[in-house]
Amino acid sequence: MTSQRKPPVLRRGAMGWLRANLFSSWGNALASVVTVVALVYLAGELLLWMFSQAHWGPVWANLKLFAVYRYPSELLWRPFAASAVVLLLLGATAGAGRRSGVSIVGGVFWWFFSLAAALTLVGLAAWPVARWGWMAVALAGLMGYGAGRIRPGLGRALPWSWGASLLVVVALLNGFGADGALRSVSTKEWGGFMLTLILSIVGIAISFPLGIALALGRRSRLPVIRAVCVGFIEIVRGAPLIMWLFIASLMVPLVLDVSPSAVGPLSRAMVAVTLFSAAYMAENVRGGLQAVPKGQYEAAQALGLSGWQRTRLIVLPQALRAVIPAIVGQAIALFKDTSLVFIVGLFDFFNVGNIVANQNASLLIPGGVRLELSLFLAVVYWFFAYRMSVASQQLERQLGVGER
Amino acid sequence: MSTRPAASRVPFYRNVKTLGVLAQVIFAVVVVLAAVLIYHNVSSALNRSHVPADFSFLGVRAGIPIAETPIPYTPSDSYARAFLIGVLNTLKVALVGVVLASVLGVVVGVMRLSANWLLRQLAKLYVETIRNTPLAVQIVFWYTAILTPLPPRILSAVRWPGGVLVSNQGVALPWPYPTPAFASWLPYLIAAVVLGVAAYLLRRRQLRRADRPGNPLVPALVVALVVAVAGYLLSGTTPLPTGTTTSFRQESGIATVFVDANGDGKLDAGERKLAFTPVVAHVAKGVLTTQTQDLSESRRIDYGRFRFPPLHRGEYDRATVAFADPAKAEGLSIAFVHRPYQGIVYRDDNGNGRYGPGEELSTVGAVKRGFAAELRLTVEGFRRRLATDRDGQVRIPRFTTGAARAATSGGGANMSPAQLFAAPSQAPASSDQPTLETRFETPAPRPMIVSRPTIPISTYFGGLTLSSNYLALLLGLVIYTASFIAEIVRGGIQAVPGGQREAAKALGLSDLQTFRLVVFPQALRIILPPMISQYLNLTKNSSLAPLAAYVELFAITTIIASQTGASVPVTIMLIASYIVISLVFALILNAVNARLALVER
Repeated sequence: MTSQRKPPVLRRGAMGWLRANLFSSWGNALASVVTVVALVYLAGELLLWMFSQAHWGPVWANLKLFAVYRYPSELLWRPFAASAVVLLLLGATAGAGRRSGVSIVGGVFWWFFSLAAALTLVGLAAWPVARWGWMAVALAGLMGYGAGRIRPGLGRALPWSWGASLLVVVALLNGFGADGALRSVSTKEWGGFMLTLILSIVGIAISFPLGIALALGRRSRLPVIRAVCVGFIEIVRGAPLIMWLFIASLMVPLVLDVSPSAVGPLSRAMVAVTLFSAAYMAENVRGGLQAVPKGQYEAAQALGLSGWQRTRLIVLPQALRAVIPAIVGQAIALFKDTSLVFIVGLFDFFNVGNIVANQNASLLIPGGVRLELSLFLAVVYWFFAYRMSVASQQLERQLGVGER
Repeated sequence: MSTRPAASRVPFYRNVKTLGVLAQVIFAVVVVLAAVLIYHNVSSALNRSHVPADFSFLGVRAGIPIAETPIPYTPSDSYARAFLIGVLNTLKVALVGVVLASVLGVVVGVMRLSANWLLRQLAKLYVETIRNTPLAVQIVFWYTAILTPLPPRILSAVRWPGGVLVSNQGVALPWPYPTPAFASWLPYLIAAVVLGVAAYLLRRRQLRRADRPGNPLVPALVVALVVAVAGYLLSGTTPLPTGTTTSFRQESGIATVFVDANGDGKLDAGERKLAFTPVVAHVAKGVLTTQTQDLSESRRIDYGRFRFPPLHRGEYDRATVAFADPAKAEGLSIAFVHRPYQGIVYRDDNGNGRYGPGEELSTVGAVKRGFAAELRLTVEGFRRRLATDRDGQVRIPRFTTGAARAATSGGGANMSPAQLFAAPSQAPASSDQPTLETRFETPAPRPMIVSRPTIPISTYFGGLTLSSNYLALLLGLVIYTASFIAEIVRGGIQAVPGGQREAAKALGLSDLQTFRLVVFPQALRIILPPMISQYLNLTKNSSLAPLAAYVELFAITTIIASQTGASVPVTIMLIASYIVISLVFALILNAVNARLALVER
């Protein structure tokens, strides 16, 4: 005799999806309902607050401060020009790389381009100072992309152009001479999101070769070199960045035996950020070095390559390729960590938030505008960090496919 | 044809070994030269600037006020002690943070793999938002945007169920403390531990002999718990030492419980104060006065509010609030927000006998303002159960007798802070201020007492206070680190081969059993090593404390550095303490990891 059974549960269509994903058991159903109610309530409260109670005035009024801090208003074209140069190169890289299938740079480029375009729109609507600047940046990006598409041969010049662009950007921002359109702007006037970006990019760029050197030193057969590298890496990683920043601000003038005013806070922060990042970079690179199969070393040796050639031509390219995702991860961490430079008295994006919170206009608002400012800061940081992490995940996937 | 005898013909500058040694010597020389140069520069810079270059300043009086001190500390203590407080505060936030972050991280990590789509997405949203936002922004958010503007000032702290008080000074929880009678319970506790261990060993042997799986920890814990509870009940109450006396200072509302060795009824130097002793304070009739205020609370302004220290039902026989000067308060009425200690002064414009919105605004001038009035709370039969703090003191509201207020202008409420904190011997024997009729009972204590937080004045008294600084840092660290731990947990669980799950199913284990007995133990081995580095990160990240004005290792060191200018010693202290903390942490956790890996195999 066969016993009667219930009909099988429907697993297709919208109802089926709901049943499988939200109401598969009593406990699940309860969790779903509670979550939905809580989410709707919270979202409602948040929206209500954002559009009816929040005071966005102080954020809006200080956009320039958030972007570049006290950089002279009449010289704002220089940061814009620097951004244009970078976006131009990014566009060219994306355009030239399109045929070779490097779509990740493309994604990053279009994302930055959309940001510039969106800021142009914001400028047209309500931010007259920056209107033309953002438009120029966006156009430069488009031009670069076009050039890259039409002349893929440019691709070969790109590595050098990127190196040169670093100099151009620094030259543009810093300037020369006492007056004129290109007069020098003291680093004390630098700040805001510009400073955050400078610190992260320069930190990663300089710590990259340093980190490779440290990682190679750590794997060296020579005990003295190895010991020094291990000691440096472990001591630096054993203490937090904020402490190294503080120590740099105390010790750099002493170590160089100069008066404290001779070394500005930016240089001190740069030293700490770079050395700190180099120690972590070294550990990432070491992971890559360990992942290179031993056969590769032996094959290189059999071919008669010298030690230096072996490292440069065989081992490092494979090792670095394997750790690109980890390096992007570190770039994200560094980008977030630059918010700690408040301790040496720099006014990066985060610290400008503290200035704005203590302005008279903000203090006159009952309860202050700390909540608004925190959300604004968080959203902007999140925007960039999240985009980088998406790129890192794409990279990981792409590299993983290539490996197998 | 000459064969080449290998090594002998290779010149020394091409011999790998010689080259290696040479490279190391050159490297070492460069490093040493750099070190010498740095040493020379630093010492010459120090010679010119006359800042301390050795650690002798550590013995000097620091003069740094610190709000949160796990061990007794006053600003007149030395720099070394201030530094020690910093280290302890770091440990306090790091240890609690590690535990909470693990719990939250595991919950979110498991949620990311839940069968429920909504929970999965919610967990993903949490992870992606939190870990892509700087920790500094999050700590500032918790501190300045959530905890500091917590609506009520201390006098209108929110009371959560269970007697938890919440205000912008932090959260105060009821907390158990050992009383002077704790010693009578101690033998039972020792017995509980011994018997627990014995039960563990016995049960383990039994299980091994029978070759059965099982956890010997459960019966051991049951045995220990039963013995401890029975011991607590058996030890009952223990009378306080003879000569236990209470001295009360009416001006500050502070009573000290001490053992009056010489029987003069006064607290003399060297007499033992009784910490964490139950006290029942009685005041026959007391009067408090206050003025209405316009207070800006989080996002609005409350006009014409008055607030007395909170009094709860059962703490008084009769309590009445009246205007101190009825003539000046013509036409005004009182509405209670919390009877009898908090309310609004208003004028009943529409004559309905009740308070309506807008009636608290006085219409004089263009500026919005509440009515100014002085109020007086008369409490009859006040009684409150308290436990003394670690200095043997209890604190009640600063009651005066009503007569004193009327007769003299210099009553308790108007005293200067210096007068309030004057030593008891200097306090006037109140020739101009009639003494309150007070009585302090000190019942015989049980071994433990639950101290409940109260608000006698503008600070919490009793219980355990978690300051908003501590909470902000803790919340920031826990929520941030948990987002990383969640990803580690998810990865670990996903790394357990699917066959394990299927095999467990085939053996007839339930879903929960499969997870608890098969999947999780295996995942734990994968999870633990990266988890350890997250724990270390949390500890290092606690150095963001200055953003929440919490004084821990890093914050206290920056203060010491700015006060003394001793940059070199401070640098050494900072690096050394972080390295030591990291090393100890790593050693302990790695030992746990090694043990776990062994046991599971």
